[in-house]
Amino acid sequence: MKKNGKQIGLIVLASVIGLLFLIPLIWMISTSFKNDFEAIAGGLNWIPENFTFENYLYTLTGDGVDVPIFRWMFNSLFAGLAGTAIIVAIDALAAYGLARLDVPFKKYLFPLFISTLMIPFVITFLPMYMQFSNFGLLNTYAVLIFPYTANAFGVFLLYQFFKSFPKELEEAAKLDGANKWQIFVKIVIPSAKPIIWTLAIFSFMGIYNDFLWPLVATNSPDMRTITTGIAIMQQGSFTSSYGKLMALTTIATIPILIVFLIGQKQLIKGITQSGIK
Amino acid sequence: MKEAKLPASKAKKERLSKFTSFLFVLPYLLLFLAFLFIPLVYGIYISLHDYNLLSSVQPFIGFENYATIFNPDSAMNSLFFEGLGNTVKFVIFSVPLLVAIGLGLALLLNSIPGKLRTFFRTIYFIPYAISVSVVSIIFLWILDTNSGLLNMYLMDLGFDAIPWLTKQPFAWISLIGATIWWTLGFNMIIFINALNEVPEELYEAGAIDGASAWQKFIHITLPTIRPIMLFVIITSTIASFNVFGQPYLMTRGGPGDSTEVLLMGIVNLAFEERELGVASAMALLMSLIMIVISVIQF
Repeated sequence: MKKNGKQIGLIVLASVIGLLFLIPLIWMISTSFKNDFEAIAGGLNWIPENFTFENYLYTLTGDGVDVPIFRWMFNSLFAGLAGTAIIVAIDALAAYGLARLDVPFKKYLFPLFISTLMIPFVITFLPMYMQFSNFGLLNTYAVLIFPYTANAFGVFLLYQFFKSFPKELEEAAKLDGANKWQIFVKIVIPSAKPIIWTLAIFSFMGIYNDFLWPLVATNSPDMRTITTGIAIMQQGSFTSSYGKLMALTTIATIPILIVFLIGQKQLIKGITQSGIK
Repeated sequence: MKEAKLPASKAKKERLSKFTSFLFVLPYLLLFLAFLFIPLVYGIYISLHDYNLLSSVQPFIGFENYATIFNPDSAMNSLFFEGLGNTVKFVIFSVPLLVAIGLGLALLLNSIPGKLRTFFRTIYFIPYAISVSVVSIIFLWILDTNSGLLNMYLMDLGFDAIPWLTKQPFAWISLIGATIWWTLGFNMIIFINALNEVPEELYEAGAIDGASAWQKFIHITLPTIRPIMLFVIITSTIASFNVFGQPYLMTRGGPGDSTEVLLMGIVNLAFEERELGVASAMALLMSLIMIVISVIQF
């Protein structure tokens, strides 16, 4: 009896905390369906009194203001997907090479790569800005993709996996006359699928949600990402139209929320593995 | 003849094998050189020059940028150290809460039934998926003095409206509140995993000795999860040191300059005043502090 009572108390507590976590999101969605007048009037109606789609229509069609929101969304999704594809491919190759193949100097290369995990972004973002600027590559997709691809996290994550991968499978294939590349593509990669998904989800979320780098590396309206675009709108023409701002943030959040809910398990795996040293 | 030839061809084969293996690492190595190593060296180079982007020449000036930062009479000195002070304040206020509440939620979830546990874990973890600009704009709206949700409820209950973003200490409370809401899930996930690794036998032994729940927590749980605890403290410290988006969007450094954190100062100096030399020197110093913090871990 006493134990049951305690359980119920804990569940109630967990529910209240859960509500605290959800309230900002519910309020965001609720406000996005209110007209500016109702939003600013500051009522406490969770269900809008005058339910309206005008904020979504206004932001999506770019009526009156130049808001290339589709372009921003495309930029974010494209940079996220392309960056993720590059990271996965290149990190898997490097991690496999370092973990299993006779790469020259691998004793030095692996610690060198891993030690860069400690190097904060602050140290590289100004010179990287100058690098891209010198080559006239600011405001291109290159600037939105490549800076993320040198991160050693994926090499570290996959290296651990390949190290513990049983040797027998590779050896059997070798006896059948398969070369390194064939073994990598046909045997190693299929078995590494779960951990590769983990890396993919991590990378995509990191690129899609990044703020500081796209903020400084792009300034043409067409090359903004969705995260920087909405920040510009907040400081510009939408500054006190919270209905429109909340429509914009809702639209920006939907794709990443879908990725998050689908990839949650992989994400959790990645986080816990990064904590195991 | 045959015997002499064999080792040579073997050596050749080995060289070829090493070469094809090296090709696996080559793409990453190139990206590593282009987007980590070169920027690192280039950053040091820039910091040793009077690197104003508006000027046509960027002469070498040795360590003068660093000297200016440490010269108490210069504007760069106050910019750096006031910014650093604000960043450190944010770290000191946020990290203990991020760690303690993260652990608290993990303990709470571990003591409710499995199905509900997964459900609530997802709920608590959702904000982590959202970008800092969305988080900041949602909280700007909720904390709005005149029509924000929080003040509406406070006034409903008979309190005065609170200037959440324009007066201290409320501005700090708002920034830290938004940060906790946003990133707490990450620490919670790590703690949940750490708690699951604590051997059940230890608790059983504790129960036989008649230990209370609190005693078990202090004498069994905490010592066992200590390494993970340290990891969470360090990663939270580093993350908080990098704070930028929340004050940039929510308080814009105000009221006054009280929430103008170091990274904001560096970005301003580099992209508004175009003083890349001093800004790079500051970025290097800031990174050095962070590297020292993360080395503590080992």
